[in-house]
Amino acid sequence: MGLVLDFATTTAILFIVTSGLMMIFGVMQIVNFAHGAILAIGGYVAFVITRVGIPSLYGCFFAFIAGFLVGALIERFVVRPLYRRPLDAILATWGLGIVIIQVIVMIFGRGVQLVESPLQGTWNILGTEYSSYRIIMIPVALCIGGVIIALLNGTRFGIKTRAVIMNENLAESLGINSGMIRFISFSIGAGLGTMAGFFITPLSSVDPYMGVAWLTNAFMLVMVSGHSFLALAGACLVFGSIQVLVSIYVNPVLGGMAISVLAAATLRIRPKGFSHD
Amino acid sequence: MKATALEVENMTCGYGNAMILRDLSMKIISGESVSVLGKNGMGKSTLLKAIMGFLPKARGSVRLFGFDTTRTRPHNIARHGIAYAAQEQPLFTDLTVRNNLEIALKHPETFDQLFRPITHLFPVFANRLDQPAGTLSGGEQKMLLVARCLMLRPSFIMLDEITEGLQPLVIDNIAEALKWERESHGTTMLIIEQNIQFALKVTDRFQIMSKGALVDSGCCDEDGASEKILRHLSV
Amino acid sequence: MTKSKISTQIPMLLCLILVVAGPFAFDTYMVNTLIKAFFFAVAAITVDLLWGYTGYLTFGQSAFFGAGAYCAGLVFTHLGFSSEYALLAGVLSVVIPGLLALFVGWLSFYHGAAPFFSCVISLVVPIVVYQLVLSGGNFTGSSSGLTGFETFDFEIESWYWIAGAIMLVAAIATDIFVKSDAGKILVAIRDNEQRCEYLGLNTYVIKTLLLGVCGALAGFAGFSYGAFSGVVAPELTGFSFGTEMIIWVALSGRGTLWGPVIGTVLITVISSYLSNSIPFVWQLILGIGFVSVIVFLPKGLLPYVIRPLSRKSSLDAPIKLEEAKIQDSSVSGHAIVMDHVTKSYGSLDVLKNITLTGDPGDLIGIIGPNGAGKTTLMRCMGDGEHRTGGSVEICGRDLGKKHPEEVVRLGLGRKFQNANIFQTLSVSECLRIARTIRERPSLVRTSKVLALPAYVLDVMKVTGIDKKLGTAAKDLSHGEQQALELSMVLALEPKVVLLDEPTAGLTLSERRSIGAIFSALAHKYRFCCLLVEHDLEFVKEIATKIVVLYHGTILMQGDVDEVVNSKLVQDIYTGTKSSARNSEAEK
Repeated sequence: MGLVLDFATTTAILFIVTSGLMMIFGVMQIVNFAHGAILAIGGYVAFVITRVGIPSLYGCFFAFIAGFLVGALIERFVVRPLYRRPLDAILATWGLGIVIIQVIVMIFGRGVQLVESPLQGTWNILGTEYSSYRIIMIPVALCIGGVIIALLNGTRFGIKTRAVIMNENLAESLGINSGMIRFISFSIGAGLGTMAGFFITPLSSVDPYMGVAWLTNAFMLVMVSGHSFLALAGACLVFGSIQVLVSIYVNPVLGGMAISVLAAATLRIRPKGFSHD
Repeated sequence: MKATALEVENMTCGYGNAMILRDLSMKIISGESVSVLGKNGMGKSTLLKAIMGFLPKARGSVRLFGFDTTRTRPHNIARHGIAYAAQEQPLFTDLTVRNNLEIALKHPETFDQLFRPITHLFPVFANRLDQPAGTLSGGEQKMLLVARCLMLRPSFIMLDEITEGLQPLVIDNIAEALKWERESHGTTMLIIEQNIQFALKVTDRFQIMSKGALVDSGCCDEDGASEKILRHLSV
Repeated sequence: MTKSKISTQIPMLLCLILVVAGPFAFDTYMVNTLIKAFFFAVAAITVDLLWGYTGYLTFGQSAFFGAGAYCAGLVFTHLGFSSEYALLAGVLSVVIPGLLALFVGWLSFYHGAAPFFSCVISLVVPIVVYQLVLSGGNFTGSSSGLTGFETFDFEIESWYWIAGAIMLVAAIATDIFVKSDAGKILVAIRDNEQRCEYLGLNTYVIKTLLLGVCGALAGFAGFSYGAFSGVVAPELTGFSFGTEMIIWVALSGRGTLWGPVIGTVLITVISSYLSNSIPFVWQLILGIGFVSVIVFLPKGLLPYVIRPLSRKSSLDAPIKLEEAKIQDSSVSGHAIVMDHVTKSYGSLDVLKNITLTGDPGDLIGIIGPNGAGKTTLMRCMGDGEHRTGGSVEICGRDLGKKHPEEVVRLGLGRKFQNANIFQTLSVSECLRIARTIRERPSLVRTSKVLALPAYVLDVMKVTGIDKKLGTAAKDLSHGEQQALELSMVLALEPKVVLLDEPTAGLTLSERRSIGAIFSALAHKYRFCCLLVEHDLEFVKEIATKIVVLYHGTILMQGDVDEVVNSKLVQDIYTGTKSSARNSEAEK
C-alpha cells in the first residue's frame, strides 16, 4: 500500500510541477527554461505568506498571480521578439532564470529557509501511515488537471488556444489574435509554475536554486508527452513510478536520474514519445 | 458613386525574395463580385494571402474600405469584416461543426440567430453540429467553409477555389448560397476560380491572372465571356 | 575577405601578447585566474564549434570537461602520481570523454531528430554525470570532490605558459579548420541540414564525429585544469557550468572563435574579482547582459567591437574555376523506374500505383493541378523511407529504404521548389560543398581552384553567377539563387535530376534562359530530367514526354503533342474536368 501511495503522490507532484511547462510548450513550442526560477518564486511566495500569516489556501492564488505577472513580462519583452528563433528563446529564458534567481538571492539571501507545512502529521490509509501533505497533492493535481482541461475544452479562450495550436494561420484569418493567445498562455503557464513551487515547498525547503533540481525531469516529461495533458499525466505516472521503484530498490541517486535517462531513451526509440499520432 | 471595398496599388510580394506578384493593381467597388481566373501556379492564391496580410509586401499598398492594411496583421484584417476561405487546410478538422462556425463570431450568443439562415441554404448541417468537421465529406467541408463565411456577416468575402473537386450539385448549392448572400446583404466578393461556369454565375466581372499579373478582364454577362476566358486557360 | 583576416588577427595578437607577457605583468592571483581561464577557453572553443558554427546548442560540454578533470583526480588520488600515471591519465582524459561524446552523439543525431531534441539530450548528459560523481562515495569524493592529490610540480609561470600554449594551439588549429574547405561543411549544416543530406553528406555522422572530437578536446582541457588546480569538484561536470560556457560564447560572439576565447578569459577574470566584492550583483549583470545580447545582438559583442577596425575590400585571391573530369559511367538501361509506387497518410492515398520510367536524355514534364501529388512523387524518388508501397530503381539499383544522402550516391540530384541553398556561404563555398562526395575537401587548406563539370560551368555562365563567386548566397537575387541551387545539384554529377517548379518566382527572361539550360541538360548531356511545373507552355516547349498527375494517379502519359491536345488535359485546365471526376468519386 505504501508503494501505491508513493506512485500516486509522486505522479501527482510531477504533474503539478510540469503542468505549467506543458501549457507553454503546447502553445508556443518553446520549453521555458526559466521554469526553475519560477518554481522558486512560488516557494518564496509560500515563505512570505506563512510569515505574514495569511492562510495557505489563499496563498496559492497569490502564487499564481505573482507567476502570471512575471510570465507576462517575460513573454512581452523576451520571448516575443525571439518568436522566430526558438533556440535563442530557450537561451533567453534560461538567462532570465539566472536573473530571477539572483534577484531572489539579493532580497532573501542564498540560505535555506524552512516553510512549515500547513498540514502536518500522517494519515492512516488502509493500515498504512502516510504523510498527509503528500496525500493532499493527489486531489490538488486532479484539480489542476481538471481546471486546465475545462479551460481548454470548455471556454472560449480554450477553443481559441486550441485553434492556434492546431493551425495558427487559419486562426489568424478568423480574427483570433494568436500573439495575445500566446501571451496569455505563457502567463498562465508561469502562474501554474509558481503555484507548483508554492505546493512543493513544504515537501522540501526554500532556497533560490530549489527549482533547478526539478528542471530536467520536467523538461523530459513534457518532451515525451508532446501536446496532450493526458499524455503528460500518463508520462508522470509511468516515469514517476519507475523513479520510485529505482529509488527504493536500487539507489536513490539513480532514481533521481531515472526519469531523464528513460525519457531520453524513449525519445530516441520513438521520437514522437507518448503522443499517439 | 459607391465606396471602394478593396484597392490594391502596385503591389509586389512573394515568399522570401521570390516575388510571385509583380506590380499588381486592382480595385473592387463595394457590393461588386469579382472573379480572378487563371491557370495553376500563376499567383492567384498568393493574391488572397497578400490581401489577408499573410505575406509582407515588398512594394505597393492595400486598402480595405478606406483603411490602409498594407502592414496590418491578419487577425486585424479579419476584424475589418473580411471573411476568407483558404484553399488548403481551411477548417479545424478536430473541432466540431459548431465550434468551427462559432469560433470566429464576435458574439457567440448570437449563434442560433445567425445559424438559422444557414439551415435553409445548407440543410445538411441542421442536425450535425456536434460532428467533428474532419468527418464531413469533401463537399460538406466546402459548404461548411461557405457557411462559416456567411455567418460572420462580413462586408467582404474572399474564396479560394471553393469548387475544387466538387460535384455539380454541390457547386450549384454553393452558387445559390452566394447569390442569396449578395441579394440579401450586398456583400462584396473576390473569388478565385478554375471553374468558368461557376465564376460566370456568381460574379459580375472577371480578371485573368497570368504569371503574377492581371492580363485581361471582362464582364461576366457580355457575349463571348466564356470563350475569352477559355482562350487564356487552355493550352 | 580582408575583413575576416583583421577580425582574426587582432584578437589572435591580443591573445599572443597576453600569453607571452602575463607572468611579467600580473600578480600571482591574476596569473592563477588566467591559467584557469585559458583551460575554460578551450572548452568554450568546443562549445563555439558545436553551437556557433554547426548550430547544435549544447549544455553538455561541462560533462566532458568534468570527466577529463576526474580522470586526473582519480588516477592521481588512487594510483598515485608518476610520469607513467600522468600519461595514463592524460590518455584516459581524451579517450573516455571522447567515447562518451560519441555515445551522446549517437543518442542525439539520427534521421529525423529535431534540433530541439538534441539540445535537451545535451542537458541530460551533465546531470547524469554529475549524479554519478555524487554517488561515487569515497572513490569520487562525492560532493566535496577530490583534493590534495599529488600532481605536476611546475612553477606557476610554467603552468601559465603551458596553459596559454594549449589554448593558443587549440584556437589556432580550430581557426585553420573552420576556414578550411571541410570546415565550411559545419556552417552548411547549420544553415540548411536538409540541403546537406541531398548533397550526399551524412550529417548525423559528421555531427557525431565532431561531438566526439569536441568531447575529447574538452576532456583534455578538463584534465589540465584538474592537474593544475589540484581540486576536482563535481560542479565541473554540472549543468550550470555547461550553461556558463554558453554565456561566455553568446556574450562574446558565437561563430567567431576568437570572440569566445577572449570573452571566456575576460569574464572569468572579472568574475574572480567581482564575485568576491559584489557576487550577486555581478551574476545579475551577467544574466541581464546575456538576455539582452540574445535578444538584441544575437551575433554577440565581438563583431561590433571589431567592425570599426576593419575596412571592407576584396584583396584576397579570387577563386579560379576550371573544368572537372567526369567519371564516365553512362547508364545502360533506364535511369529511373517507378513500379506501382504508393504513398498514403493513414487512410488517405496521396499517390496510387505510380508506374513510370525515365531514360537518359528524357525530359519528363510532370503536370497536374494543386494537390495532385507532384511534390510527393519527387519525395518518393529522393527519400527511400517516404513511399508506403511499390519500388523505385535508380540507375538499375533498388532505392530500398535508403536515406537521401545514400540516394544521392545512387545518382539522383534533387532541386527543391524554393531556392534551397546555404544562406551565409559564398557561391564558391556552396558549390565546393556540393562537390564533397566527388572530391574530398581539405581539413586545413582553402583551395583556390574550384573544379566543376562542364555543364555546371555552362549553367553558371548563362545565369551570370560565375561572376559572383565571392558573394554570399543570401545576397543573390531569387533567380540567381535558383541558378546556384541548380548548379549545386548538377555538381553532384547525377544521372537523374528532379526539378520541382524551378521557374516559380522567376522573371520572364530568366524563365527563357533556364528553359534553354534544361533542354541542353537532357539532350546534350544525356541527363534524365523530371520537371514538375505549373506552366504548361513552358513544359510544352522543352519536354520530351509529359506525365499528367491527377489526385494521386497518372491520368495520362505520352508525347507532348498527344498530351497537350487531349480533351482530358484541356478539361483539367479549364476546370470542367473536376465535376466529371467527382460525380463518380462521391458515389
